[in-house]
Amino acid sequence: MTCVHPKGGLGMRITKLTAMALASTILTAPAWAEDDLTIVSDPLELTIHMHWPRSQGYQEDYPVELAAREMTGIHLKDATSGKNTKDNYEAMNLLLATGKLPDIVGGNRIQQPVNQYGPEGAFLALDDLIEEHAPNIKAFFDERPELRQAISAFDGKMYYIPYLPDGKFGRAWYIRQDWLDKLGLEQPDTVDELYTVLTAFRNDDPNGNGKKDEIPYFARDWEEVLRLLTLWDARSSGSDTYHDFYVKDGKVVHPYAQEAYRDGIANIAKWYAEGLIDPEVFTRGSSAREYLLSENLGGVTHDWFASTSGYNTALAEKIPGFDFAPFLPPKSAGGVRMEEHRRTPIKPDGWAISYSNEHPVETIKYFDFWFTETGRLLSNFGVEGETWNMIDGEPVFTDAVLNSDTPVNTQMYTVGAQIYRGYWMDYRYEWQWTAPAAREGIELYDANDLLVDQFLGVAFDKGEQAVFDKYWPSLLSYMLERQQAWILGSGDVKADWDDYMSTLDKMGLEKVLDAMNSAYARQYG
Amino acid sequence: MTHTPEIEGNRTEELVLQAREAQRNRAASRIQRVGDHLKREWQLYLLLLPTIIWLLVFLYKPMYGLQIAFKDYSIFRGIEGSPWVGLEHFQTLFGNDQFLRALKNTVIISAYGLLFGFPVPILLALMFNEVLNAWFKRVAQTIVYLPHFISSVIIAGIVITAFSPSAGIVNTILGWFGVDPIYFLTKAEWFRPIFIGTGVWQEAGFQSIVYLAAIAGVSPTLYESAVVDGASRWQMMWKITVPCILPTIIIMLIIRIGNILEVGFEMIILLYQPATYETADVVNTFIYRQGIQGGQYDLAGAAGLFNAVVAFVLVISANMISKRFSRTSLW
Repeated sequence: MTCVHPKGGLGMRITKLTAMALASTILTAPAWAEDDLTIVSDPLELTIHMHWPRSQGYQEDYPVELAAREMTGIHLKDATSGKNTKDNYEAMNLLLATGKLPDIVGGNRIQQPVNQYGPEGAFLALDDLIEEHAPNIKAFFDERPELRQAISAFDGKMYYIPYLPDGKFGRAWYIRQDWLDKLGLEQPDTVDELYTVLTAFRNDDPNGNGKKDEIPYFARDWEEVLRLLTLWDARSSGSDTYHDFYVKDGKVVHPYAQEAYRDGIANIAKWYAEGLIDPEVFTRGSSAREYLLSENLGGVTHDWFASTSGYNTALAEKIPGFDFAPFLPPKSAGGVRMEEHRRTPIKPDGWAISYSNEHPVETIKYFDFWFTETGRLLSNFGVEGETWNMIDGEPVFTDAVLNSDTPVNTQMYTVGAQIYRGYWMDYRYEWQWTAPAAREGIELYDANDLLVDQFLGVAFDKGEQAVFDKYWPSLLSYMLERQQAWILGSGDVKADWDDYMSTLDKMGLEKVLDAMNSAYARQYG
Repeated sequence: MTHTPEIEGNRTEELVLQAREAQRNRAASRIQRVGDHLKREWQLYLLLLPTIIWLLVFLYKPMYGLQIAFKDYSIFRGIEGSPWVGLEHFQTLFGNDQFLRALKNTVIISAYGLLFGFPVPILLALMFNEVLNAWFKRVAQTIVYLPHFISSVIIAGIVITAFSPSAGIVNTILGWFGVDPIYFLTKAEWFRPIFIGTGVWQEAGFQSIVYLAAIAGVSPTLYESAVVDGASRWQMMWKITVPCILPTIIIMLIIRIGNILEVGFEMIILLYQPATYETADVVNTFIYRQGIQGGQYDLAGAAGLFNAVVAFVLVISANMISKRFSRTSLW
């Protein structure tokens, strides 16, 4: 694909007069639009707040920004608040509290504030603007109406353009294949087989040091212990956020108030008591995987494909024969094979147009630019010819990028690609630098029908929000408190269950679910 | 400054007349006196000014924002634009069992902290004072001050490791006596001792500085005459040092009582688990989960205001009690 630079070209002549005509032309002839991406002939400066985990601000000299400026005529000026904090909410609150918003407000986790303050007048509703001026964004959401519903505020309007991840799988089950081989065992295919394998890891000294120090199942995030619930046909969460609601028979319910959960927790407690689950799982923290694998102690975990596969190379020298292999989720007691975790198709990240923006039409066209083929490649891979080349119709990173000591994602952040604008990720970007071991795992998972539908969240109206805020934090605290007590064995879930359920009821679970369901019906009904 | 008129029989009448005259001139003369005073002492006031400004900007101006405790606060609409909701947030707080539990935990943790933590720096200071070897004294002081300068995150890491069932030093030592490993940080009954012990270890050394300063201010002549009288070191400590630093101790105690609801919650957040909420959850951590994480600043504001009011009442009462019984007081 070629791209015509607008400098002195077609763009100069037409756009000035034809803001409206252009839009209608694009609708009928999108192919033509790809060739001319100019939005304004006189350079237009727009200010932007972009607060994201890797960098608290938008650099005006990103190669990607320079290229986009060249193509569109729009020039983003950094006006990020809260550069002294890494907390995105704090930065956003600081920005909102000043009352002076830059033209574009973007970054990490903007959905909640944007959908709350948008209807109050802080941000523009984008629906009409998209309809009239953003054919590519419109096409994207017309194909995926459920995503449009999911990001809408309670008034049914869209207030931000999200970052849209591509690719399906996130976490997977991993096992020490070399331990299995040593003990003469097969990869566990059912929950009972998993129990046998974990018990063998515990008792039969697979690391061969003569000590009973193996940790059969471990996790970096203790919440991953709850994934075991799916082995007894319960759920731990409905989304990629822990402890989230899920949709059961068209109704929003909470996984921790289901009968299946009671039985699942009883089983987890039994495994914990038998030493099959890391006894220190609650305090070991984020270095658990690093420590337990490199000390040759950990047997099975549930973690991200890419980073977990990396240990095979990292530890090859230290532990001879080290083979940490992905395996399919074992079949549950009820015979279901389920991978509960998947990448969410929409993130709460992206960008929005603030009320004080005097150029909303140009801004939405600029947002739309990133959904054109050129814009999407630019936002994912960086500038063509610098970090990647088009080979046989595929964008391929240069060898310099792929073989660098710096991870590819970090390199992309440096040039201004893969940053938190509202853009559509292209999975080809990640696949190119995914280790072969992880690729095999992803293909294994992809060949089976494992994924369950995600609960994409609801947008509350004011009344629902008040109910949720009033009851939910305490309910969740109570649920987690009981959950941990049961797993640790300081309570018996079966004996406590009726009491637990009636306490949840007393604490307002019914009210929270009613609020959830009325919002859900409005949004997805 | 005023002084008590001496009463000398026939001069009384004259004095009364003078007093009446003075009263008439008081307004004018007071301004003049203040002016003279300022002219004389302006450097002192200049030194005081930055602190006053700091207080005004960071402690008085924010009081304006306290009203969000009574409003349905929206950041975007601002304090002015948010509607009043009366006592709704207070009703929400006091209708919540977890808040009441957190309140109870706060008071218990603070009371234990006061009971076990308050005397330690005083004892340390007295002990340092008795050390004769200057080199040893300096090294020992540095060692006990050091934890104060380490970030809470690192302290929490040290504590988690020390109490770990598999690798922790505590369980290793218990193991020598045949005790099975205990997963301390998930046991509600162990949380308070661990938390308070950590606090004492981290802060006692640094807090002892104020007492050392007070001890340094005790007049050496007292000790000299005690030596002449044949007092032992023990007697000097109890009969001279302790009574002389008592006012400092009482002032510190009053301040400490005022902070009774201000448990250092970053350490709690780092150390607690859902399994230990029962004893570990304090008002500030509750607010953190309920308010800040959920963006409910108005509710957090209500809880903060409640904290401040309780602290205010406590300080006033402690001060009054102290004034009555020991004649030492903050004001």
